[in-house]
Amino acid sequence: MAEPAMQLLDVKKNIGNKQIIKGISFTINRGEVFGFIGPNGAGKTTTIRMMVGLMNLSDGDIRIMGNSIKSDYKQAAREVGAIVENPEMYPFMSGKQNLLHYARMIPGITKERVNEVISLVGLEKPINDKVGKYSLGMRQRLGIAQALLHKPSVLILDEPTNGLDPAGIREIRTYIRSLAEKDNVAIIISSHLLSEVEQMCDRIGIIKNGELIATQNVHDTSVEKQVNQILMEVTPVKKAVELLKTQHDIESTVNNGALVIQNDKESIPQLIKTLVEHDISVYQVSVTKASLEDKFFDLIGENTIE
Amino acid sequence: MSNFFKLLYNEQFKIYIRKSTWVMYLLLAGIIITLAVVTNSYGDLNEKYQQDNWRDVLQEENNEINEHLQENEQSGQLTKNNFYLENDIQPRAYDAWQFVMENVFLLSLVTLFTIIVAAGIIANEFRWGTIKLLLIRPLSRTKILLSKYISVLIFAFLTLLFVLLISLIVGALFFGVNGDASFVQNQLGSYAHVSIYGEILKGYGYQLVTLLMMATFAFMISSAFRQSSLAIGIAIFLMFAGNSIVAFFADHSWAKFILFANTNLEQYEFGEPIIEGMSVGFSITVLAVYYIIFLVVTWLFFTKRDVAGQ
Ligand SMILES: Nc1ncnc2c1ncn2[C@@H]1O[C@H](COP(=O)(O)OP(=O)(O)O)[C@@H](O)[C@H]1O
Ligand SMILES: [Mg+2]
Repeated sequence: MAEPAMQLLDVKKNIGNKQIIKGISFTINRGEVFGFIGPNGAGKTTTIRMMVGLMNLSDGDIRIMGNSIKSDYKQAAREVGAIVENPEMYPFMSGKQNLLHYARMIPGITKERVNEVISLVGLEKPINDKVGKYSLGMRQRLGIAQALLHKPSVLILDEPTNGLDPAGIREIRTYIRSLAEKDNVAIIISSHLLSEVEQMCDRIGIIKNGELIATQNVHDTSVEKQVNQILMEVTPVKKAVELLKTQHDIESTVNNGALVIQNDKESIPQLIKTLVEHDISVYQVSVTKASLEDKFFDLIGENTIE
Repeated sequence: MSNFFKLLYNEQFKIYIRKSTWVMYLLLAGIIITLAVVTNSYGDLNEKYQQDNWRDVLQEENNEINEHLQENEQSGQLTKNNFYLENDIQPRAYDAWQFVMENVFLLSLVTLFTIIVAAGIIANEFRWGTIKLLLIRPLSRTKILLSKYISVLIFAFLTLLFVLLISLIVGALFFGVNGDASFVQNQLGSYAHVSIYGEILKGYGYQLVTLLMMATFAFMISSAFRQSSLAIGIAIFLMFAGNSIVAFFADHSWAKFILFANTNLEQYEFGEPIIEGMSVGFSITVLAVYYIIFLVVTWLFFTKRDVAGQ
C-alpha cells in the first residue's frame, strides 16, 4: 500500500553563500496528500523548484517514482505535474490555447484529455476567453488543469489556495481528495496557512528556515484526543470566570464577551451544572477541536505564521 | 521529430498570436506601399527609353549634357548612356523586380524586428512567469532552447519573404513586371551588365549576415540577462554604431577582429576591404567564431542556470 511516489533525500540548497534549504528528507506515498506548511520565506517554493527541476540541488537527491531528478530528469518530470508559485499563463492566449500549448509538449495527450481536465476544474465557460481577463481563482484552476494534463503520479501545488474564496478552497479539496483516492496520485500542497489545507491533507510537514521541523498525521487519534476549546455564552461572565477558577481550578478567558476554556469534552456537563447552580445563565455552548494550527503555533512561533 | 515540430509550432504560435507582431508586418506593408507611391510619382521610370528610337533619345540626352558640361567635368549619366549605346542595350523599364531590388534596405527593418523577437523569445517567458511551466516538461532544456532559436530564424525567414513578396506584388501593381532580366549597374564608377535576379539574391544575401549575427547576439543577451529591453537596446545600438566602432579602432591591429568589420561581405566584391589584410575567408572565419561563441553562451546560461524567483 505505502508505495513511495516521491522521496527527498537530505536535500540542500545554497544560494550565494546562504543555505536556504538545510537538509530536508521526507517521503510521500501514492494516494497521499501531503501538506507542506511553513511561514513565508521558509523555503517551500525553493524546495518545490528543486522537485520539478527548475533549480539544481546543492546536495542530496530527489526521486520521483524511483527516478532521480538529477540523473533521470526526463523520466522523473514525466511523472510530475506542478504549479510553482503563481499560476502564470500566457495572458494573450485563451485558457484552451494555453492548455493545448502545454499538451503539445508531452506526447500522447489527446484533445479529449484536454477537455476532460477543463471540465474537472470547472472552466468550461471561460475557457475560450483570454487568460489576461481571468481572476486569480480562475488562473489557479487553469494551473491545476495544466498540471493534470498528462496524468502525473505526483501533483505539486504551491499555494493553490491563494486567491480562492472558501467555496473555491472547498472545491479544490473535493477534487484533490478524489485524485488521491481514485487515481492514486501523490499530492503535495504547500501553504503558509495551515487552516486552509489541513482538511485536505493526510499528513502535514512543517518547514521553517529551510528545515523540516515536524511531520504529523492529520487523522492521528492522538490529535483527536487533543484539548478542546470550549466556548460559552454566559452572563454574568466575570462571575463565571471566578467560579470556574474556584470550583474546578480551570483558567478561562473572555473573548468577545464569550467564555473560552481549554478542557476536554467530558468536563462540559459538570461545568454547566456548576454555572447553573450559581445562577449564571447559559445561552450557548460550543466545542471546537483544537486545530493542528494551535499545536504547531508552539513549533513555529505564533507571530511568524500569517 | 514530430515532437520537436510541435515545439516549433508552439513558439510560432506565441509569436504570431501577438498583436505586436502584426504591427511589424503592417508597418512593413505600409512602408512598401508608400515607397511605390513615391517612386511612381517622382521616380525616373526610364519611360522615355521605351520606344523603338531609344538610341536617339539617349544620344539627344548626351548632346544636351555636353552642352551644359563645364570643362573637365564628369557626368555619370553621360558615362551610363554611352555604356548603353556602345553595348547596344536598351535601358530597362523600371519594374517590380527593380522595386524589389531597391527595397533591400528594408532588411535593416527586418533585422530590427528579428532582434525584437529574438530578445523576447526567452526573456518574455521570464517576464510572464511562464518559464516555470515551460521548463517542468519532460524535455531537455537544450531542445526547448533549440526550438526557440529555430523559431527566431523562421520568423526572420517569413518576414524576409514577406518583404520580397509584398514588394513584388505592390511593384507589379504599380510598375508591371519586365520580362527582361538584364540590368545595368554602376560598379565603382564603371558600368556592368548584370542579371537583376542575381543582384537581388546578392543584395538580400549580404544583409542576411548582419541579420543572423545580430539576432543571435540578441538571443544570447536575452538568455543571459533574461531581460528583453536590455537585449534589444544593446543589439540595436551595436547594429547602428557598428561601423563607427570599427572606424574608431581602425588604427589598432586587432580592429579586424571586431564583429562589425566582418559583417559586410560586400566589401570584398569591389575594391579594398576596410582594414588591410582582410579576406573573405578571414571574415567568414571570424563570423563563424563569433556565431559559435554566441550560441554556446546562450546554451550555457539557458541550460545550467537555476530558474529562481526574485
Ligand atoms: N533567488 C534567490 N536568491 C536569494 N535568496 C532567495 C532566492 N529565492 C529565495 N530566496 C530566499 O530563500 C528563502 C525561501 O524562499 P521561498 O522558498 O520562496 O519561501 P516560501 O515559498 O516558503 O515562502 C527566503 O528567505 C528567500 O528570501
Ligand atoms: Mg512560496
